[in-house]
Amino acid sequence: MIEKSRQQSTETPQGSVMKDVAATQTSEQRLLSAEQQAQLCDWMDRIANQRDRKAFACLFKWFAPKVLHLGRQRFGDASQAQELLQESMANVWRKAHLFNSEKGAVTTWIYTLVRNQSFDMLRKMQTNREDNLSEDIWQQHSNERDDSAEFSDHLLDRQLVEYVEKLPEEQKNVVKGIYFQELSQEELANQLGIPLGTVKSRLRLALGKLKAHMGEHHD
Amino acid sequence: MIKYHPSEQILQSYVQGELCASLSVAVSMHIDMCPQCQRLAHQFETSCAHSFIGEESDPQNEDSWDDLIAQITKDALFDERPAPAPLEIEVKGEQFVLPSSLHNVGLSGWLKLGKLSRSRLDLGDGKLHASLLHIEKGGSVPQHTHKGFELTLLLSGEFKDEMDNYVPGDFIMLDGEHEHSPVATESCLCFTLADDALHFSQGLSQLFNPIGKLIY
Repeated sequence: MIEKSRQQSTETPQGSVMKDVAATQTSEQRLLSAEQQAQLCDWMDRIANQRDRKAFACLFKWFAPKVLHLGRQRFGDASQAQELLQESMANVWRKAHLFNSEKGAVTTWIYTLVRNQSFDMLRKMQTNREDNLSEDIWQQHSNERDDSAEFSDHLLDRQLVEYVEKLPEEQKNVVKGIYFQELSQEELANQLGIPLGTVKSRLRLALGKLKAHMGEHHD
Repeated sequence: MIKYHPSEQILQSYVQGELCASLSVAVSMHIDMCPQCQRLAHQFETSCAHSFIGEESDPQNEDSWDDLIAQITKDALFDERPAPAPLEIEVKGEQFVLPSSLHNVGLSGWLKLGKLSRSRLDLGDGKLHASLLHIEKGGSVPQHTHKGFELTLLLSGEFKDEMDNYVPGDFIMLDGEHEHSPVATESCLCFTLADDALHFSQGLSQLFNPIGKLIY
């Protein structure tokens, strides 16, 4: 009897849930088109590299309704939801340089910042503690591993691959190096023997073109 | 090889930030040691992020956001994230490096009972008691059951009970139905979490029931 219940309670978390997660991902990836994903990456890049306030305003307005929804659901209270929005987005601004687009999607990264903030707020409400443990609890697991698969999946979308092929040679090499071979921008600059700034500007041009292309066919 | 893992439900709640701090810390430490749960947690995270971006609250006046945006971006500096220095503790002459999830959690002094040493973790989760438990080689916790639940996360060393041998990373969740008496086959360090005192169930150790409160 002991054996049985123990087996159930400690069962390896695999199997059906893996399939469910995979299914959810496929269906939900359609929520966000490749050009939206590229747009989010571009805003993040401008926030991190240029402290671009306009890009931040765009990112803020894109995420705010989603953060407020999560906040209202979790706290059942509009002012707490507003606090969650303010604190989470301030974290996005202050930590933008820690986001690594080669290792995960912007949406997942921002979700984890909102999740952390709501954890600390809940803890403060329930235990009166202001120790903000969330960064210790989740620090190793947020955007640190190599999980570029999600963004790659978008880009590997057949239609997009066709567009990438149509890019000018120089931009094509940069896009392929970064998103298909998963090189860092520095590695790619070394490999191509060009300055890092050139890699960045070619990437921006290429993403701009891809967005324009994709836009035409999605509107 | 890690055999005992948090349930999918626990892992899912962990990813959503809905577990109490004590349990979140435990899952975080397990994930550090378990690539399989790390992958699964990341999949849950991606899936949560997708639900997150799929939801919108009622539209509101966006103008009010401009002040907030201006306020946030007033300061152009970035947050620096200093790499935390490894935190070492010494118990009975042995050194252990604590997982980074515990870096900002207060530790009480060590209470020593024979081969057992216990330090309470100050996580402030009400009735839940989180501790570090050190058992010297050959040491054992008398046969007991649990009134509520008991979670043991083995951080270092090895122990066994009537049911199995455990290795670092094993996440062992027991409840009132389970009765066991763990013995350290090597000196070991565990993170333990219990929501009530142990209940010692055999022979002389029944006399020690009050120490259940002290140990866990």
